[in-house]
Amino acid sequence: MLIKKLLSREIICHKVFIRALSAKPSWDIVTGVCVERLPVVTPPLNEIQKKYKDMLYKIEIEKSLKSDHELRHENDKVQAELLKNESADIDFDAVSKITAQDFEDACNEEYTQFKFASIETDADRKGDKTSIERCLQRHLVLVTQLKLGKDLKELLPQGPWKEGETLRQTAERIIKEKCGPELQVQFLSNAPCGFYKYKYPSEINGKVGAKVFFYYATYKAGSASKSKVNWLTRKELEETLPERYRKSVQDFLIEETY
Amino acid sequence: MKKKKKVDPAIIKAREERRRKKIEKQIRRLEKNARQLKPIDEMEVSLDIIDQLGKRKRPTMQLSPAEAEARALLEKEWTRYKREEYMANIAQIDRIMASQRRALDKLYEESEELYDEAIMPDLQLIPYSINGPVATPPIKNYNSPDGDYIDVSKKWDN
Repeated sequence: MLIKKLLSREIICHKVFIRALSAKPSWDIVTGVCVERLPVVTPPLNEIQKKYKDMLYKIEIEKSLKSDHELRHENDKVQAELLKNESADIDFDAVSKITAQDFEDACNEEYTQFKFASIETDADRKGDKTSIERCLQRHLVLVTQLKLGKDLKELLPQGPWKEGETLRQTAERIIKEKCGPELQVQFLSNAPCGFYKYKYPSEINGKVGAKVFFYYATYKAGSASKSKVNWLTRKELEETLPERYRKSVQDFLIEETY
Repeated sequence: MKKKKKVDPAIIKAREERRRKKIEKQIRRLEKNARQLKPIDEMEVSLDIIDQLGKRKRPTMQLSPAEAEARALLEKEWTRYKREEYMANIAQIDRIMASQRRALDKLYEESEELYDEAIMPDLQLIPYSINGPVATPPIKNYNSPDGDYIDVSKKWDN
């Protein structure tokens, strides 16, 4: 009984001690914004998706009824046969018109002449990471250069929270400050979607470090002016972001499957 | 000043009655119409096709046993693939939600007011629209050669 009491008292003491400790160091509150451009073009199908799609198409055709075009084609064949046999009752009006085959050929020609826009854009060819028109089939995340202490780092745009703002307002302000007013983005929530904290090498204004709250937004229109801005794919993100930071960012991003 | 005409209360009563009957009749008519469903053009097979049904039937194909087997196997493989995809999606959603939960918890530790602001619903978001992705990238400054786009879908009154 005594031991139990002692123990519980110890635990309470411990808790109080911890709270005192955790209340002591104060942190800067920083908001980071993850602006993502969603894929413009659907990603390519993988092996099994292709196979299954082919099978579905086959089944669809097997189960379907013949179309008008196919009926016309069959009718043309019958007429041609009649013409060959020089049978008496040929409907000459029907023969002289354009056959279904002709129509199909014309359509095919038109199709081959049409040039679809290439998935590989100019920016892809030049390896220009600052353009939004790159890697159309992938998710791109906006990354800016930030000066932290002495060294320049490529991170998501971030900035300190100011008294009187909500974090969401901070996030909107930061996008305007870092990327210019032309870039239009759509924030998806008032709540932060990710968290990261780091310590300063030495205390600055009595703060030991910064707690970064990430907000998520999708790209709507316009382009970023002002500072140097890169749009990076998931793979490039992995290469550029610092190790621990990357993990926090990847925690709230959708995985790409191809 | 005009003098107000005195109206016989019986006439007023009759008038009320007539009005009520009229409205009742309208309601009845509306109710009758309500039971009638709106026609769906796409679901009515045109008579043309029904007439030519014999002509339009494809010759029934007998699948070879090997082909049937291959299809069955592919179907099974597809099911497994979709299941894996589904599980991965669920895990992903869990991961993202956990990340947000953690961020909110940390925010609560830091400042309760900011937390309260953060969990407010975002009312600007609601009329939300999103486009794409598409099969081929859009061609810039492309003029469609086939004239104007005319919306022929029918409008139905409620």
